[in-house]
Amino acid sequence: MTLLPLLFAIYVEGDDRDLAERLKRREPAAMGELYDRYGKLAYSLIYRIVRDTGVAEDLVQETFLRVWNRAQGFDAERGALGPWLLAVARNRAIDYVRSSGGKMTRGALELEAAEHPTVFVNFEADVLSQDRARRVRGAMDRLNENQRHVIELAYFEGLSQSEMAERMGQPLGTVKTWVRTALKNLREELREKAITA
Amino acid sequence: MTCDELRDQYELYALGVLDAAERAELDEHLHREGDPCIEGVRHARELVSSLASLAPQSPPPARLRNKVTGLVAEPKRMWSWTLVWIAATACLAVMAVWLNTSRREEQRALARALLDVQSRKVELARLNEAFALMNDPAAKQLVFGEGAPKPRGRVFVNPKQGVLLLASNLTPAPSGKIYEMWIIPKGGKPLPAGLFQSQPNGTAMYLREGAVDVATTGAIAVTLEPEAGSQAPTTTPLIVAAL
Repeated sequence: MTLLPLLFAIYVEGDDRDLAERLKRREPAAMGELYDRYGKLAYSLIYRIVRDTGVAEDLVQETFLRVWNRAQGFDAERGALGPWLLAVARNRAIDYVRSSGGKMTRGALELEAAEHPTVFVNFEADVLSQDRARRVRGAMDRLNENQRHVIELAYFEGLSQSEMAERMGQPLGTVKTWVRTALKNLREELREKAITA
Repeated sequence: MTCDELRDQYELYALGVLDAAERAELDEHLHREGDPCIEGVRHARELVSSLASLAPQSPPPARLRNKVTGLVAEPKRMWSWTLVWIAATACLAVMAVWLNTSRREEQRALARALLDVQSRKVELARLNEAFALMNDPAAKQLVFGEGAPKPRGRVFVNPKQGVLLLASNLTPAPSGKIYEMWIIPKGGKPLPAGLFQSQPNGTAMYLREGAVDVATTGAIAVTLEPEAGSQAPTTTPLIVAAL
């Protein structure tokens, strides 16, 4: 069992590195492999945010095309392809929801910085592994209802703490405490489990 | 502020939900070589990446893979996309020069307009598909909810292209719920035909692509379901349009 994460890291990291190189060479077949590897996760994430199958399909296409067009700036040796693609997917979906709801979206320059491929380097290899996903869900289950709710509002709706306070009808200080405690618990639980795994 | 004081903000920064002033302060640290905040934000980004696993698994339609690979497979289409990106890049470059000489408020307004155009392009593509389905002589038009105070509108059933629903007075589904369309065969069990949400103003347009056997279909219906969707209706239909 102890060798499993290591084997996973070597196998998956190696594959992603090769795939990233092929994307940089603009090999059309690499797009299919990229979709096979991350399409379901990207669609699930986008659909959870926009809750409309037609819009989700359009935004998945926009996400993959964006990654394809920006792969030249990706560091295939040190970069984390999956986390980068999912960050692009999340940003597309949140901006769609905010713009269709008449809310102010994030500025183009800010968005550009948040999903720039150089941001996603030196990540642990297991960030998107099944085991880590189970640990994240377990850690979320152990948060109380308010703490869980603020994390979902931040991740799936991109709300700032002020917007969360307004949405929940709670004082800003209370919301900040819930956010801080929730993130601290998540951080510590994931770190503890990673050490004991 | 010191890195110790900024530690609680690492994940919020990675989530992109910090206010502008807080973000700018952390940005300053991230531009300093060897600053401890850099490693902290990297860990935070890993944590945020892992949160994607909280989204319930929703299988994408099989056609989506072809659509994605088709974006880069056909030389003709690739060329047209290249043109689009060249044009978009040129526009952005011109705008970047303009933005540098304008006030911050004007920058925000422009960025909003750009994103608005993007979302309108998505809407336009969906409308084009809907018009094509409606204008086909083979399409059959059904009316529902006439004279009723709650959801009313029309359903177009096109044997080759699919089913199009246009509704008004359809309140947005509450948190944790979603609308689900059903194709009900004559004398058979309802078949799930996709999930959708209505707009804040109560209007909804949903297109379920794919062939429909009009001769064996008895009705099109819509129910309110849990957000992951259901294999069989669990609530009384809000909309029923009989063929």
